[in-house]
Amino acid sequence: MVWMRELPATDIADHFAEVTRSAISQHLTVLKTAGLVTERRDGTRRLYRADRNEMKNLRKFLDEFWTSGLERLRDVAEAAQRDKEKR
Amino acid sequence: MAQLVREIMIKATPETIWPFLTEPDSLVGWHGTVAEIDPRPGGIYRVLVAGQFQSAGEYVEVVPMEKVVFTFGWDEDDHPIPPGSTTIEITLHPEGDKTRVRLVHSGLPADAVDDHGRGWAHYLERLAVRVAGGDPGPDRGSAGEA
Repeated sequence: MVWMRELPATDIADHFAEVTRSAISQHLTVLKTAGLVTERRDGTRRLYRADRNEMKNLRKFLDEFWTSGLERLRDVAEAAQRDKEKR
Repeated sequence: MAQLVREIMIKATPETIWPFLTEPDSLVGWHGTVAEIDPRPGGIYRVLVAGQFQSAGEYVEVVPMEKVVFTFGWDEDDHPIPPGSTTIEITLHPEGDKTRVRLVHSGLPADAVDDHGRGWAHYLERLAVRVAGGDPGPDRGSAGEA
């Protein structure tokens, strides 16, 4: 959606009727942190567009994908370890 | 071919971590939502990620408490990483009362990325919406979006 043109967050949210504004905002933050979209401020609006150079970087996507995955693994495994030690 | 290496230190023993790699109910506690896995050489690996992205591959090597290796890709039309096209190796390295978990994703088609950048943009958006707990709506493919 933001591939060809720049859009404000509210317009992006309108494309996803089922998704809350805060979920869209989180989604944009994830993409921005990963360097996949750029954000520009215009008055009170925030405009987003895809960074096409970065978007080509599949490695970056996978890096984020596995990094967050391993962090979740750590959380569940450490919780399981604590449970074992309590017994 | 490119590869990606990620490591994380976990305060748990390999025995505690192992089920999270090999048992469907535990696996979905951190990765994916629906897992059909048969962790033995030749066994299937199918994990639904972010609610709708079907990853697929096959187990290559399974050494209890030490190592799991499987092929990996996405079961989607025209995806730059088709099912079974790349390999993931997860190894457990105990260090005192902790375990270093190392993930190596190899065989990545670095040179294929340009051709599929648009498709990825589409799926990244959908994936990120899902990851954030939302619903990106029915998938009409990247060509259907401006």
